[in-house]
Amino acid sequence: MIHIQDVSVAYPKGIQALSGVDLHFERGEFAFITGASGSGKSTLLQLIYRELEPTRGQVIVDGHDVSQLPRHRVPLLRRKVGVVFQDFRLLPMQTVWENVGFALDVIGATKRDKHHRVPLVLELVGLADRADAYPDQLSGGEQQRVCIARALVNTPPLLLADEPTGNLDPVISLNIVQLLCDIADRGTTVLCATHDTHIVDAMQRRVVALVQGVVVRDEKTGGSYDAA
Amino acid sequence: MRLNTAQFLISQAWSAILRNGAITGAAITNISVALCVLGVFVLTAYNLQAQAMQQAAAVEITVDLAKDAKRAEVEKSLRANERVKAVRFVPKAEALEGLAQRWGLDFSTLSRVGNPLPDAFRVVPVKPDDIEAIAEQAEQIPGVAEARYAQQTTTKLLKLARGIKLAGLVAVIILGTASLLLVSVTIRLTIYARRREVRIMQLVGATNWFIRWPFLLEGWFQGTTGGIVATALLLPGYAYLASLISSNLGFIRPVQSTELMVALGIGLVLMGSLFGVLGSLIGLQRYLQEV
Repeated sequence: MIHIQDVSVAYPKGIQALSGVDLHFERGEFAFITGASGSGKSTLLQLIYRELEPTRGQVIVDGHDVSQLPRHRVPLLRRKVGVVFQDFRLLPMQTVWENVGFALDVIGATKRDKHHRVPLVLELVGLADRADAYPDQLSGGEQQRVCIARALVNTPPLLLADEPTGNLDPVISLNIVQLLCDIADRGTTVLCATHDTHIVDAMQRRVVALVQGVVVRDEKTGGSYDAA
Repeated sequence: MRLNTAQFLISQAWSAILRNGAITGAAITNISVALCVLGVFVLTAYNLQAQAMQQAAAVEITVDLAKDAKRAEVEKSLRANERVKAVRFVPKAEALEGLAQRWGLDFSTLSRVGNPLPDAFRVVPVKPDDIEAIAEQAEQIPGVAEARYAQQTTTKLLKLARGIKLAGLVAVIILGTASLLLVSVTIRLTIYARRREVRIMQLVGATNWFIRWPFLLEGWFQGTTGGIVATALLLPGYAYLASLISSNLGFIRPVQSTELMVALGIGLVLMGSLFGVLGSLIGLQRYLQEV
């Protein structure tokens, strides 16, 4: 599903965000990307949904080299990739229901489809009763759950979660990550960047650890989180 | 575009208009003011030109007849000219009477001295612009001694009218560009306030046109409303001022034509719509360059 081949990313002023990264993720696989702040976790995810382009190397998603993708095709890539953002990135002037439904509007889903899928996914993240609230009326945890619902509503083949549990309490965090694992088990590839040691330990899934942009560890059933 | 998508985009635009009431109001006010200024200028230029043309139209050509001229044939030739509106015969006695009146002399005394003036025709052109050509043609008619008109006055008035027309056109282009810039800056402010929204739309896979449409509809709504407001302020205001001027200053006659008012109203509304849509397109371009 995802092939990352010899990828490096250098930011202006010579900061090396990733160096010579080689990774491969199968369809339906779940993997944690771990590492301290600034280790390159977010950069790695941003390459996959073409928020960033690599300075060197190839990022192949579902058979397509995304760094070579013409600009007009980038929206089509993003429709296949659900992204859960660290900073929520919700539309402030739209309700929870509209924020989630927006991802369906973008792909031209019918009203009927929307009315079927949005309540289901809101139920899944425990926000069915907050559907009419605006983002600024929600707690940080609730906003993150809206973000997860928006990423899930399209049932994309690939789901990227950048610190999805950063603003959630431990019990909810575990539920959310369990939910992400269940989604992976149904055939969606899920990459979850996190520095939450408890979750990584609890799930016993593949762990890719980054230190200063270099992959220092890649274990099929990680656990025993090591910040390295 | 699918009906679902069209409905969604229109509802997006409408809810943005309602939610950003203050910015929408400011944009509409800006557009109305810009279009009002433009409208005032157009009306002023139109009136000035009309006044100059009116003055020029009052000028007549005096076609003096030679002593042996055949009056009927000359008159027939003059009337045959399509550019001639009216022809009036002025016998030399009448001409002398007019002269006596203008100079304050006693007509009977003057006529006893003798009448050196020839019989003549007074010719009124259809268009003041044609005065020179008519005079030249009249002089070619057998029996015509001379064709005269207040050449300097007419030429000056016609020059003035053409000058006003040209200056008006240039000013409309300059004011129009300024209005367009003002509108695009206002709409850019609206977009700037929602740049985060634009970015999120891009990140969840919206195409640039999908993002553009609601903003274009919003710009169109603001522009059209601005045009309607400008028309609603300008036309009754002008009608009132025009009637006030005509009743108090008899020598100035402002143009009071329904056609002009309708054309100006439609023009302002269309211009508002165009400015709104173009302003949105220009304003959005920068934000849509990042992917």
